[in-house]
Amino acid sequence: METLELIQKLVVVLVCLYLSWRIFRYIWSFVDVEKDPLVVLVTGAAGQVGYALVPMIAGGSMLGLDQPIILHMLDIEPAAEILKGVKMELMDGAFPLLKGVIATTDVIEACKGVDIAIMLGGFPRRKGDSKDLIFRNVGIYKAQASALEEHADSNCKVLVVAHPANTNALILKEFAPSIPDENITSLTRLDHNRALNQISENLNVHVDDVKNVIIWGNHSSYVYPDANHATVDIGAGLKPVRELIADDQWLNTEFITNVQQRGQAIIKSRRLSSALSTASAACDHMRDWILGTPKGTWVSMGVYSDGSYGIQPGLIYSFPVTCEKGEWSIVQGLKIDEFAREKMDAVAKELMEEKTVAYS
Amino acid sequence: MAKDPVRVLVTGAAGQIGYALVPMIARGIMLGPDQPVILHVLDIPPAAEALNGVKMELVDAAFPLLKGVVATTNVVEACTGVNVAVMVGGFPRKEGMERKDVMSKNVSIYKSQASALEKHAAANCKVLVVANPANTNALILKEYAPSIPEKNITCLTRLDHNRALGQISEKLNVQVSDVKNVIIWGNHSSTQYPDVTHATVTTPAGEKSVPELVKDDEWLKSGFISTVQQRGAAIIKARKLSSALSAASSACDHIRDWVCGTPEGTWVSMGVYSDGSYSVPVGLIYSFPVTCRNGEWTIVQGLSIDEFSRKKLDLTAEELTEEKNLAYSCLSVDEPSSPQLKTTSRKRKRKSVDIIEQFNAKMAQVLELKEKKLEMDILYKDTSKWILKLLNFIKNVVP
Repeated sequence: METLELIQKLVVVLVCLYLSWRIFRYIWSFVDVEKDPLVVLVTGAAGQVGYALVPMIAGGSMLGLDQPIILHMLDIEPAAEILKGVKMELMDGAFPLLKGVIATTDVIEACKGVDIAIMLGGFPRRKGDSKDLIFRNVGIYKAQASALEEHADSNCKVLVVAHPANTNALILKEFAPSIPDENITSLTRLDHNRALNQISENLNVHVDDVKNVIIWGNHSSYVYPDANHATVDIGAGLKPVRELIADDQWLNTEFITNVQQRGQAIIKSRRLSSALSTASAACDHMRDWILGTPKGTWVSMGVYSDGSYGIQPGLIYSFPVTCEKGEWSIVQGLKIDEFAREKMDAVAKELMEEKTVAYS
Repeated sequence: MAKDPVRVLVTGAAGQIGYALVPMIARGIMLGPDQPVILHVLDIPPAAEALNGVKMELVDAAFPLLKGVVATTNVVEACTGVNVAVMVGGFPRKEGMERKDVMSKNVSIYKSQASALEKHAAANCKVLVVANPANTNALILKEYAPSIPEKNITCLTRLDHNRALGQISEKLNVQVSDVKNVIIWGNHSSTQYPDVTHATVTTPAGEKSVPELVKDDEWLKSGFISTVQQRGAAIIKARKLSSALSAASSACDHIRDWVCGTPEGTWVSMGVYSDGSYSVPVGLIYSFPVTCRNGEWTIVQGLSIDEFSRKKLDLTAEELTEEKNLAYSCLSVDEPSSPQLKTTSRKRKRKSVDIIEQFNAKMAQVLELKEKKLEMDILYKDTSKWILKLLNFIKNVVP
């Protein structure tokens, strides 16, 4: 029949087209088309965390092994020599992905054309409370905000690490109004990773198999690590952490304090702040933001609150987010029990207080 | 299918270089993004707290490839089952310190670690010595761990190799990944010889020789060499601390190329046990150009060595021989523990007895000569008296 013949011919043509397309794609993958380099700014690069972070960036741990980078490193005048030393070391490292390094104390030169900014610069946290750091940091972030606004790329993604991270990010947002709200975030991935580790140690599984904890709120001693929706991959599917641990008491007390005070514990051991894990968490944060989170997994990022989960808008608050195509979205519809509600509100209160202090 | 985890030992892990190195290992930069690792981190008891802090940070970072961390001050526990050992532990070099000052402190450390590795590490354990003086520490390690194959003990000169690549790329304003095949000959010290005679740059028009492109033999033979030789000191001056970042990065490069192989047409510099190639004395750990395949290195043979290079190669070999003797003399001050060392000290005792005898003989000769001199003096005095008398007589006689 004619129609049948026609259909057969059509099918053959379609199959041929499809196969040719596949061949073309295969050949294209051999053509070594290098991506355009991304400009990454690291402030406070002469410090501990910066020294741990820059080789991770230059080695491709942050943006992937096929993404060339140009590094901009910024620090204050007194650290200019040290910064130069770091630049020399980066050159000596012969990193194939590193297409250029600018080491400067001039904030404008540092912010030119920046696609990704990681703000480590700020007063370092020592044994004690983080509240008195707020005052010292407001001035710094105000200046850097205007520089970024004027000179950085329009879609620049910003990650604030320096304590107090959430409030510094808020200051940055206030004084750089033309940077989109969703592009300014703060680091809570460190607490997220620490929480994953606490659970994996408790259950004696590998940390890779634990996922979906949530860090709510502020990266401080009020941080609330929530394991209510966390799961563990035990080979036969995903089991909720609450079930496996079967110790709500521990989850509601020790687990939380362990994560909250881990930073202090490390300072006590090393006599120095936790540079290695912070740098690693910063890499994870950026990488998941830009390259996307794996399916079925979410991560914690300090982002601009839009009122989800009853948290007042206008704060930088850590939520569970998934990322796709360079944009994050808050995971909605998670159940919040009373205990969690209390904790989340307590953290929100602390953030409001910090905000008031910062604005005064 | 996930690979079996590889055990990697890092000594001196509580220090600067260790802190930069362990995240690189845990992220898969050293052995590949699909190779799980178990990290053994070792340091001395005073650093136990700091070491624990490093372990806490490693687990906090939730590295997917890191299947376990053993943090200990016990060298036996640290060496058990180890497949790759990176010896960063040693006395650190500070501003103003010469490498030789550091030598004696390090020699005894490496002696004890050698025996631990020999007894407890895995069969084909690969060792990379980083702590300065790297070449000589590696040699000591080899001497005291005779059952570890010679070819498995290497020292780090990849740092200087990378620094040389960096200098060339800066000078020619090209990407460092396009420069290759420099050679670092000899000792990781100020006598090292960075040799670009065979180095090339990949340009769109093919591979070009570096000396041709640079067109400045003067710089290549002086400025370039001294910059690479003294880069370490320059970084200490700027940072007030040793170059941890680049050292860690090059340690990763060294092991990665050793284990996974060097790219086709490229060689790298590794400090390896000399077999006499290029007329370098046998029995030293000397940096050569090597290619790596299937986990084994081979010295690149047949490269032409011009006169200038020959002098440099010999100079650094000389320094290495001196360091070797210095190291052995440091060791003979302690109680000899191994039978090897007993015979060496006996030989040395005999040698010193010989020397004393020779000295005595020479002293006797000197005394003889002194006596002879005295006699001559007396004779001279007498003779001159007679001559004077004669002269007077002549004066009187001749009016």
